[in-house]
Amino acid sequence: MRSFQLALGAAVLLASLLVAATTQMIKPRPVVLIPTLSQQPEYCLTCHGDLPNISAAHPVKTFGCVVCHGGERLALDEDLAHSTMRGGANPSDFAVVEQSCGGSQCHSGSAADRRDHIQRAMTSVQSTYAGAIANILYTFGAQPDLTARYGVSAVVDEVVNTSTGVAALKPFDAASFANPFIQQFGRNCTSCHINAQPSDEDAYTRFTGCAACHSPLANEDSTARDTATHVLTTAIPYTQCNKCHNRGNYDLRTMTFVPRSDHPVDRLHAYYQPIAQFVKCEYTLDCIDCHTRTEAMGDGDIHSSKKEIQYIRCKTCHGTLTDLSTTMTLTDSNNVEFRLAQLNPVVELNIGDRVLATEKGEALWNTRVLPDGSYELVGKATGERFKIRPVKGSGCTQNPDEQASQYCHECHAVER
Amino acid sequence: MKSHSRRDFMKVVTSYLLGVTGVLGIAGVARFLAFESAPRPQTAFDLGPASDFPLNSRTRLNSIPALLIRKESGYVALSLLCTHLGCTVEDAPEGFICPCHGSRYDAQGAVQRGPAADPLRHLGVEIMADGRLTLYTA
Repeated sequence: MRSFQLALGAAVLLASLLVAATTQMIKPRPVVLIPTLSQQPEYCLTCHGDLPNISAAHPVKTFGCVVCHGGERLALDEDLAHSTMRGGANPSDFAVVEQSCGGSQCHSGSAADRRDHIQRAMTSVQSTYAGAIANILYTFGAQPDLTARYGVSAVVDEVVNTSTGVAALKPFDAASFANPFIQQFGRNCTSCHINAQPSDEDAYTRFTGCAACHSPLANEDSTARDTATHVLTTAIPYTQCNKCHNRGNYDLRTMTFVPRSDHPVDRLHAYYQPIAQFVKCEYTLDCIDCHTRTEAMGDGDIHSSKKEIQYIRCKTCHGTLTDLSTTMTLTDSNNVEFRLAQLNPVVELNIGDRVLATEKGEALWNTRVLPDGSYELVGKATGERFKIRPVKGSGCTQNPDEQASQYCHECHAVER
Repeated sequence: MKSHSRRDFMKVVTSYLLGVTGVLGIAGVARFLAFESAPRPQTAFDLGPASDFPLNSRTRLNSIPALLIRKESGYVALSLLCTHLGCTVEDAPEGFICPCHGSRYDAQGAVQRGPAADPLRHLGVEIMADGRLTLYTA
């Protein structure tokens, strides 16, 4: 009996050793990368060597993977290597964005150097959803006006710079309101902002955080499920904006979102909901060709409505009957427009170039005053060139006091 | 003919198993002892004979990456890592440009446009006793 036990023990010992040796043998040979930025070796490329650089501004040789994604840099076991990743596959999720994308040299610098991306995005209406919440609470009598008091989560702005800015928002808890419509809104509608996971339906497919806009999904066919890509870009096509906008309508009676039932096959029909009015440039250009980074990502203040932060109008580019649009001459190569043009090189900017400017004094860097005095716009996502026709000197009969888009739509709306 | 008992058989099996285990164990220990950790990043680079770099030449050393400038006064080396986040700068008509975030430097490495705030780093260059150049990155 004793000899049998000894043999069994020896067999178990040998088996254990063989298992350990086999485990070691099947481990891949690590591919070592020592990024310039961290100077710490990481083995991520052992499995992920086929991924392209996420953007020209983030080459893997300089950044590596871990500085953005986290994870166990020297682990070769998949589960262990991924166990401490920030935000799963999306380190730009707002729950972890400060650790992933922050830092004064990266995306949470000062407003003065225009590197306060994270602070602005997290206080923007795209993140707080404050406008929709305020509207619903006001509509159902739960607050006396449309000033935002709640966001999808609590947020504080220590320095309020604008007259419409709000100092802080409390977290919205729909269950604390007696009104059933508000409760229903809380259940059905509060995933409609960029720091919430979208519902698990094709029409909602997008990332959270920065990647909601800056990581376009691979499939532009809105009828199919999109796939994730390892891309960060500032050349955001309208199809990415449509991941949230133009998806359908809200039914206030049932407090639900009703996805559009049509399946548009061309740009003209994909862009807007069936009953909306729009002009040619609104379905020819991409959204970011006109709307600025401040409009999209916020100005750092908490606002009660997107109307408070949306200021580009038709006249910004086309001017009025009496005035041509505002222009400015680029004089400082350290200004943000040069950085933006470098990140998305659809135009080559030079000191002395004249471009159109917004009413807030921002350079619309993808426009140009040509030597003959005419204006041109270059599509940020397409590189396509468009002539901008001024209202002044045209046959336009607009009332100078009526500059909102609906007045332009009265004559210039496209029929479908 | 000598008969073998069951116990003898088990002894042989046990000896065999322990023998193989021992050999495998020794191999494992040998492998452990022979493990070499990844070498530290190289900080000294032999550039070859100093005479290979003619007067007023500017030689880009992409593998380091650095720029070696031979002047009347001697040898000067500039790191080609952008001082913003460490991307390798590229040659531009007026000096260097960082392809990542657009920082620009003049031909001497001084910042012309941010986001970089500091000039390109000067690296140490030494002419060795045998006439060869060594460049130090740290």
